[in-house]
Amino acid sequence: MGLFVLRRLGVMLLTAIALTFVVFYLTNLQPNLEKLARTEGSVRMTEEAVQDWIAQNGHSGSIFMRYGQWLGVVPGWTYTDEKGQMRGRCFEIGQDPTAAPTYCGLLQGNWGYSTFFKTPVMDSLGEKLAATGWLMLAVMLVMVPTSLLLGVLSGMREGSATDRTLSTFSIASTATPEYVSGVVLVALFATAATGISPLLAEYGLIEPKKTLFLASATSAMDDITFWNFALPVMTIALYGIGYIARMTRASMTEVMTQQYIRTARLKGVPFRTVVMRHALRNALIAPFTVIMLQFPWLLNGVVIVESLFNYKGFGWTLVQAASNNDIPLLLACSVVAVVVVLLTQLISDIGYVFLNPRIRLA
Amino acid sequence: MKDMIQEAGVHSAAKMYAAEYAEGKLSRREFLTRSTALGVSAAAAYGLIGLPAPAQAQDAKVGGKIRVAMEVKGTKDPRLADWPQIANVYRGWLEYLIQYNNDGSFEGRLLESWEANEDATQYTLKIRQGVTWNNGEPFTADDVVRNFARWTDGNVEGNAMASRFPGLVDEATKTMREGAVVKVDDSTVQLNLTASDIAVVANLSDYPAAVVHSSFQDGQDPASNPIGTGPYIPQEVSVGQKAILVRAPNHTWWGGTAPLDEIHYVDFGTDPAAMVALFSSDEVDANYESVGEFIDILDGMGLAKEELTTASTIVVRMNSSSDLYKDKAVRSAVQLAVDPKVVLELGYNNLGKTGENHHMFPIHPEYPELPAQTINPAGLMPALEAAGLKDAEFEVISLDDGWEAATTAAVQAQLKDAGMNIKHTVMPGSTFWNDWQKYPFSSTTWNHRPLAVQNMSLAYTSTGSWNETAMANPEFDALMTEALSIADADKRRELAAKMGTILQEEGYIINPFSRSLFSHHKEGYAGLAHHPAFEHHHYKWSMA
Repeated sequence: MGLFVLRRLGVMLLTAIALTFVVFYLTNLQPNLEKLARTEGSVRMTEEAVQDWIAQNGHSGSIFMRYGQWLGVVPGWTYTDEKGQMRGRCFEIGQDPTAAPTYCGLLQGNWGYSTFFKTPVMDSLGEKLAATGWLMLAVMLVMVPTSLLLGVLSGMREGSATDRTLSTFSIASTATPEYVSGVVLVALFATAATGISPLLAEYGLIEPKKTLFLASATSAMDDITFWNFALPVMTIALYGIGYIARMTRASMTEVMTQQYIRTARLKGVPFRTVVMRHALRNALIAPFTVIMLQFPWLLNGVVIVESLFNYKGFGWTLVQAASNNDIPLLLACSVVAVVVVLLTQLISDIGYVFLNPRIRLA
Repeated sequence: MKDMIQEAGVHSAAKMYAAEYAEGKLSRREFLTRSTALGVSAAAAYGLIGLPAPAQAQDAKVGGKIRVAMEVKGTKDPRLADWPQIANVYRGWLEYLIQYNNDGSFEGRLLESWEANEDATQYTLKIRQGVTWNNGEPFTADDVVRNFARWTDGNVEGNAMASRFPGLVDEATKTMREGAVVKVDDSTVQLNLTASDIAVVANLSDYPAAVVHSSFQDGQDPASNPIGTGPYIPQEVSVGQKAILVRAPNHTWWGGTAPLDEIHYVDFGTDPAAMVALFSSDEVDANYESVGEFIDILDGMGLAKEELTTASTIVVRMNSSSDLYKDKAVRSAVQLAVDPKVVLELGYNNLGKTGENHHMFPIHPEYPELPAQTINPAGLMPALEAAGLKDAEFEVISLDDGWEAATTAAVQAQLKDAGMNIKHTVMPGSTFWNDWQKYPFSSTTWNHRPLAVQNMSLAYTSTGSWNETAMANPEFDALMTEALSIADADKRRELAAKMGTILQEEGYIINPFSRSLFSHHKEGYAGLAHHPAFEHHHYKWSMA
């Protein structure tokens, strides 16, 4: 077990290095650097000024050396301008360059400085991850119980009216991508002109507000309320609910056809007890993996939903980092993504052992 | 302060009134009414009776906060600033020597007054007394000289100010010429230019010309060390999220008390549809700009509208370094195939005035009336055929944002109707601006500038730093050099007429309309008048 975890962590490290190098390579392509120069320097810079900026801000030279700087195995760049003022990777303008460390990369605990947010990467990313964490937590709290309930209900009597109804709902919800359901939900619940909000406002049911829910979740960054958080959470959860419910249903119907269930039924055990005591635990193994896989998938989902609802979390940060070619921030985002994906896989593998004693980790 | 005003040549009767006020024979209000009627500015009148000169309604209620929806971009060294939004944040604590007001007038802020000689080669700047930095140091002539040295430094990549003061720069070193900016005494600075320059005053008011403190390091983020003369300081600047300005503690602002306690800028992106939702759910009190069909919608929500007719415009321009547009006849035919009226209607809902393809508008002092051009779509195909471009594929590029895309689409549609094989490509801002000067055919928005020659010298002279057409017309260049030495707008108009004609004939630009600018705010706020250059003058804002 210990060896298994260690091996997994090793794989995680290698994957992170490979992925960050790919990201580093792509963000360091010449056009991307030029774009960075223009946003950082000035939109109106001339072609030569752009080249100078690239050279003077540590973006020239071999790509391996620059990647090494980020890792912290190669000394950070410095540049002295014509007035004798020094700039460098390891110190800010105005700080004493001689007091600065030579190496300042990941190994030294320095994740770099976000060129877009103008803050150390760790500071801004930490805050954004916390925001996304709350969003994911809310989504999981809504999504997991709802979907398991729906799946079990429809799976325990295959082909019944309940099954057909719930299946239709879950197929419809999982077939609707977030960028569609998000817009539909906003139109229905969060505009003063369409949907049900004008009706409710007319009856005075939602005073003093003009809409049932808020179409932007920006205020949830400071204070999460049902009013500002319901729509983004529902948008992500709806998609996942359908998917997990389908998986649970499939697994449940399979379990319900097993011999031991039939035996239990023939022995006169009440249907309720059969489902709760004999079928449920076995039926939950497959959904458990699916739920764990939802975490990395949620990282994707939040990109769309956070942009749509202006919720400034990890997904929104990723969009901003990519569209502004913020190299250190993109690299840090990839590391986070790798860790989240592989960690959830690890947890799901370990979780199997507890759900199904026949599986052993070697 | 009294001496300063007298030097500036105030009406003698106003001085008499001032004496009467001092003796208690006149009330303050009476004094103000009488002296301003003599042509004395309100600020100067306040100065006469020894009060600080606030250009602010005195009855504004102090207190309150406002939430403004605006993109929050990273603050950067002001001379590198490339967006008004960046400046609107540092305006809280950094001030300007001269301010351009939305009625087209220039007002001294950190300068008490200024004077130019006959041919605009020498300027005398009088520095306002009693101004302090928010760290307690006095604002002096040395600060002014030092800032001129920063602005004129052409060795800094992207220095937006470097090209603004050619008469102060030593061409060899690309820095400030010895003796160009002289401190005469503690309250006077003299500018000695090598050539006439009428735009000095206007340039000093532009948003990158914010005055920074001696402790400011080149290239530094001004928010990290917010020492300034203004009434506010930044409490927080989170790029892409929000910026909060609060009163500077322990600082006596020279202008008195700025009414609002806090100014919050909140970034909700640039989608105009989001603005409607934000106002309706009471998440913002004011917006940066209202555009297109959303103006009507926001009006309908009971918000107060601010409207301003400007010289802000869009130029759909061709670039002659592309083989497609190197031929003048082709460019002219393209230009004349587009009817500005149609573009104004389809692209901007008629919320502006049609333009004349020369980037000058009636609001400019030197605007010349030229004979109207004849729109002739039928002339397009013969011209293309003559140039062997009958079957060539053309492409016009624009930003993907609302009216810019719509305007460009309207241009494209008319060209297509005239027979041209042209498609319209939209790009997001992050990609579009990388190559904005090089596209063969694309649209660019131009902000309002006070003088017509300012835009034209930036955009259409062969050395203009924002020349996006690759136009290099020696006659135009010569005319521009001459025009830039004539401070009198009436005399300059003759040259403007010639330059306008050249621009029309060269055919590089389709300049369909000038925009009226709009913004909205909730009832209950005052002083948020829209500014032609999107400047936010925070000290004028108050709760009504």
